[in-house]
Amino acid sequence: MLNILATMLQPDPYQNSQPLYADNTSIWHHMSNALHQSLYRVLALLIAILPGILAFVVALAVFTLIGMALSALLRRVLAAAGFDDRVARGRGTVDWAPSTSPSELIARASFWACVFLGLIIGVSAFDASYTTAATLPSSLLSYLTRVVGAVFLLIAGTLVARFLARTVLIGAVNAQLEYARFLSLGVKWLVLVLTAAMVLDHLEIGGGVVELAFGILFGGIVLTLSLAVGLGSRDLVSRSLESHTEHASERSAAAPTTKPDDPIRHF
Amino acid sequence: MATADQIPDITAPSAGPSAGLLVLLAAMTPEQSEGVLANLTASFPAESVLVASPDALPADSYPSLQIVAAPATNAAWTLTAADFVNAYQLAEKNEARAILMLGPESGSLGMSALHGLANAVLITPTDLAVPCYDLPPHAGLVNSAILYPLTRALFASRVRFPLAPDLGLSLRMAERLARAAQRFTAINQGEAPLWPVNEATVAGFTIDQFDVGPRLQPQPTGPDLNTILPLVTGALFSDIDAKAAFWQRFRPLPPASDPIPMPMPQEPSSHAAAEIAPMLQAFRLAYTNLQEIWSLVLPPNSLLGLKRLAATDAAAFRMPDSLWARIVYDFLLAYRLRTINRGHLLGVLIPLYLAWVASHINITASGAHTERHIEAVAAAFEAEKTYLVSRWRWPDRFNP
Repeated sequence: MLNILATMLQPDPYQNSQPLYADNTSIWHHMSNALHQSLYRVLALLIAILPGILAFVVALAVFTLIGMALSALLRRVLAAAGFDDRVARGRGTVDWAPSTSPSELIARASFWACVFLGLIIGVSAFDASYTTAATLPSSLLSYLTRVVGAVFLLIAGTLVARFLARTVLIGAVNAQLEYARFLSLGVKWLVLVLTAAMVLDHLEIGGGVVELAFGILFGGIVLTLSLAVGLGSRDLVSRSLESHTEHASERSAAAPTTKPDDPIRHF
Repeated sequence: MATADQIPDITAPSAGPSAGLLVLLAAMTPEQSEGVLANLTASFPAESVLVASPDALPADSYPSLQIVAAPATNAAWTLTAADFVNAYQLAEKNEARAILMLGPESGSLGMSALHGLANAVLITPTDLAVPCYDLPPHAGLVNSAILYPLTRALFASRVRFPLAPDLGLSLRMAERLARAAQRFTAINQGEAPLWPVNEATVAGFTIDQFDVGPRLQPQPTGPDLNTILPLVTGALFSDIDAKAAFWQRFRPLPPASDPIPMPMPQEPSSHAAAEIAPMLQAFRLAYTNLQEIWSLVLPPNSLLGLKRLAATDAAAFRMPDSLWARIVYDFLLAYRLRTINRGHLLGVLIPLYLAWVASHINITASGAHTERHIEAVAAAFEAEKTYLVSRWRWPDRFNP
């Protein structure tokens, strides 16, 4: 028993051999190491892709300049050769809009072809330098292409929304629907919501939440339009229908005295 | 302007044309066909007349006429590109010297009309014989509002019905029209209307106009005004665009052969307000909804004019002729520059056209002579031609 007590009260020879702050130093040391390594990796990444970025910019700039020079040259050569007049004679057309003359179209096409070529070469150079940097996260470039695709989707969706909204507006006005603007706005937002959902889906943001939200929002807009036309704008619709009926009845009432001699004929 | 170019897939005319007149009939009811054939028999007793029709005609009943089959086309209310191609091919095949094209419901044309149109291209050196119909005041309004004034102002021609369904053509005129029509038929647009007066004017051919009296005007059957008006105005705008180098030069208008009769004391119409009410409603609805699109096409001055019009009472509703001329010219320019989608552009012209019709009905209902007003509109188009030419050449210049 005394031995046991003596053993318990005996100080541990290893307990005080290292100071308490030695562990803290180790943590800071590890953190510092990790930060240094991260910084090193990022700097290495930048150094690795910097030539690629520079190559991209230089290729794009050089080919843009080449495109500008080529289009200017083509404009002069085609104008000197009377290209527009020759095409006009062959086509039977004798005048072109300033922005749609054949020589102008060819010059523009050559310019954009050069820009596109520069873009391809630049991306290729960037890709080459990117793949040599083995430490980079491999998903970055593929995500960048997704972002570009999403931007194109957004632009196309916005253009389609505007076009469809205008088409519906004109058609509805010519059909003399009082709620033409409302219909047009509804169609516009339907397409915009669809576009936004497609863009988010393309960017893989939100996952199932986006699909769910899109379904709710799209369905909500359709339901709102239906309710608005069917119930909410009941007065509007009935007034519109009444006005049609009134016109028809007015015309039929006026017919016996006025119509037979001279109906309105547009053709 | 030379017209010697041959159509690639139509053979050249034979050296010694021997046959007389080719009459190309549009598809019509048997009663109408019989009426036309009877009139032709009576009009040309001594001529060798070849009648081509897509319908089965009773050849035995008219021994003096040679009747052949013609390809069927979709000419429902006016002549189409396919009709002109068929006419020239048939004339060449049968060695006809001249062609008389008769559109739907041409049974209502009198003998003198047929005689006048045919003889003009058979006997006289006229290349294009066009009829001048005697229509009721409220008929042919698209023609009065747009087709006639534009053709007169830009091509210096007094032809009152540029899109007439009946025409007399010399062989070279038919060839030129067939060549123009082939551009449409080649891309499967055989139903597109053609503009013979513009073609003849550009080619320097002789045009004669004949009073043919009243005629039943065939109306478009299927689509409504919202479809037909863009089709017709689009075709005319396209033709004007293609011939810009010609009409930008100043050409004097030939003097009128027959003066317009003095204004008859027309009875003021009491039902004009009821007639124009739906048109004004359409215009006002469009004014509240389409301003944004109109502002892309029209200058502020025209928009201001439309604003005043929208606020005007039905009884006092009058669209100034110069405003209408500028509106049409601005739409023509926007069509050329593709300021907005062309379908949209021609769609937003419809309410403005209806406003012009309402104004026209109001003016004629107040006792003014219909032809006087139409001539005034055409004169306004002539006066504003400098505006069009200026904007055509310098579209980016400031335009208040």
